[in-house]
Amino acid sequence: MTNFLDAYSIQYWLESCPQGYLEQTEFGHEAGQKEPDALLSDPLLREQAIRVTCQLVSGERAALAASSGLINAAPDEASKRFLATQTLDEARHVEIFTQRLYDLGVKKDELESVLADKTNPNLAQFAEILLEKVDKKDFVSGVVGQNIVLEGMAFTVFEMLEASNKALNPKFAKILSGTIADERRHVGFGENRIGALISQHPEKKPEVEAMQRDMSYFMLATFADQFRNPEMREEIKASREKAGEEQQASWQGAKLGDMEPEELENLLADTVLGEFKQRLSRVGIDYQTPARP
Amino acid sequence: MSEVGEVHDLDPEVFEREVRTFDHWFGAVQDYLSDLEHGHRADIASEELAADEVDRLTTALCNYAVAETAALEASSGLVRLAPNHASKIFLATQAVDEARHVEVILQRLEDIGVEDPAAEIERRANPAVREFKNRLLYLVDSNQWDLAIFAQNVSLEAMEFSAFRAHATVGDPVTCDMLERMLRDERRHLGFGENEIARCLRTDPSRGAQIASVKNELESLAINTFEYTAKELEVESDTITKLGRDYRDAVERLGL
Amino acid sequence: MSGSSHAAAEAGDSPGKIKETKPRRRYELDDRGFDEVPRKYRKYYRKWEGPDDELAPNEALCPVCKIVMRSVRELRDGDQLYCMACMTRVRIVSGENGRLETRVTY
Repeated sequence: MTNFLDAYSIQYWLESCPQGYLEQTEFGHEAGQKEPDALLSDPLLREQAIRVTCQLVSGERAALAASSGLINAAPDEASKRFLATQTLDEARHVEIFTQRLYDLGVKKDELESVLADKTNPNLAQFAEILLEKVDKKDFVSGVVGQNIVLEGMAFTVFEMLEASNKALNPKFAKILSGTIADERRHVGFGENRIGALISQHPEKKPEVEAMQRDMSYFMLATFADQFRNPEMREEIKASREKAGEEQQASWQGAKLGDMEPEELENLLADTVLGEFKQRLSRVGIDYQTPARP
Repeated sequence: MSEVGEVHDLDPEVFEREVRTFDHWFGAVQDYLSDLEHGHRADIASEELAADEVDRLTTALCNYAVAETAALEASSGLVRLAPNHASKIFLATQAVDEARHVEVILQRLEDIGVEDPAAEIERRANPAVREFKNRLLYLVDSNQWDLAIFAQNVSLEAMEFSAFRAHATVGDPVTCDMLERMLRDERRHLGFGENEIARCLRTDPSRGAQIASVKNELESLAINTFEYTAKELEVESDTITKLGRDYRDAVERLGL
Repeated sequence: MSGSSHAAAEAGDSPGKIKETKPRRRYELDDRGFDEVPRKYRKYYRKWEGPDDELAPNEALCPVCKIVMRSVRELRDGDQLYCMACMTRVRIVSGENGRLETRVTY
């Protein structure tokens, strides 16, 4: 355990983030990069961008609360230190996605009301399940919920968003690529640390598995609301018209531009759940299939 | 890097918002934490320390480790209690600063030959700093934002600020460089604490009595820890008195 | 130690936008190697060298973290300064004997 945690030290973090891929960035993107005019001038696209970004801010706020809360529950010093770097990563994500809302025209004094209005209630429930475990200082459940389920979801969602924005919105894609790099460490820590803890505490398995099932359900419900929203269909149509054929994005071997919203929803859900299944089985937890909303 | 107008002409709200961002923290630390090895410059030659010097340094570092671990656990716990997102983000930067301090102190203990830093900390840490840690974490666990911020960012940080500066007057070059870089972080923490307590008192002056009572309860523990460590390091007594004054000045500015 | 490099005196343009009768001396700031704030702000700060460090007319000591704050203007009573190292707002006031002092604005 000690050797593995050495790779998650503050020193390592400093070398890889502030002195690595975050160098020369401003709010996560290169100086001077802007949201594309085509997005800012189209009310439908702008509204959808605000809606998506609100989910990101709310998800990252939950991750910030959870990772900071888990520090006190961590059973060893090295995990505390890793979680401190994760806390700061999450704070950075809150900040850069909040800044994106401002860049999209949300006024500073309206931020909280916009978030309250647009954050999907299912995402709020997803976060609540996790934060309940953190409040009880339940480290094993907290790390699975945070670093495998929440981070696993974020990792995949960010990858899909990055792929679909690379050509259309390099600024947002750059922000996402930095957050993906952070999430890689987080999921890596979750898997590595929890594997040892689960073998020491096999009695925790049923509780952890139930939490994974419940969180997965609310995640799927969030995706469903997002993709089945009639405005989404319009937004996808509008953005495809703007992108043109030659800029079509592909992800997981699929051409995103050829897919209907429900196909996109299924691709995302199946990818995230597939990842959960693999990660959980590697750490000795039996994946629980959630109900499909 | 973009040019800015006179920094002192910024609107107070813009200033308040900017200094509590990740971007500000990032810009602030990116040079003084670059190219380090275990928290100090790699090109500083390590001095051969005599046995009694190693012994004194070990005791000092063990006490710092307890104080920094207290700050790590408290600052992370305070993220959830913070009344706004700017403060949450600031405390997240503080949590990582404190985690870095714990890491470099433990590494320094190993570098001077301590085989089991955890056991050594257990053996050598002063009861006053342990008690301080317990009381601070109790305030965090009982969701007492202003009292915990006072205990951590005014009392504890001022104690550390004084102790590190005192140590820097007598320490070996490697330890001094490491402490000097930690002091740069402490400036941010101290400033945040003092400003936040002042804000709390302005919003609700009736909190003054409770903050003063926490001050009375904790300051003897903080001062005892600082004086114990400084004397252990054979810091001159007038330096101890002079540095201890910083804490009293801060409390006086807050009217406590 | 001298505080700042210098440029010519100019007619007064106070930070408070009130036209001043007596012109203020202006200063061109240089980077003194203070690396604890983002690069774009570095020239506005320098390390304090202790009680023998004489502050220039455009400089003031942050009472909270003991860093020297520097302005492009000669400082006067009522001026506001920010310490970006410890995030404190400071006001310049005339103390006893007319000496300029700093007060923290919370």
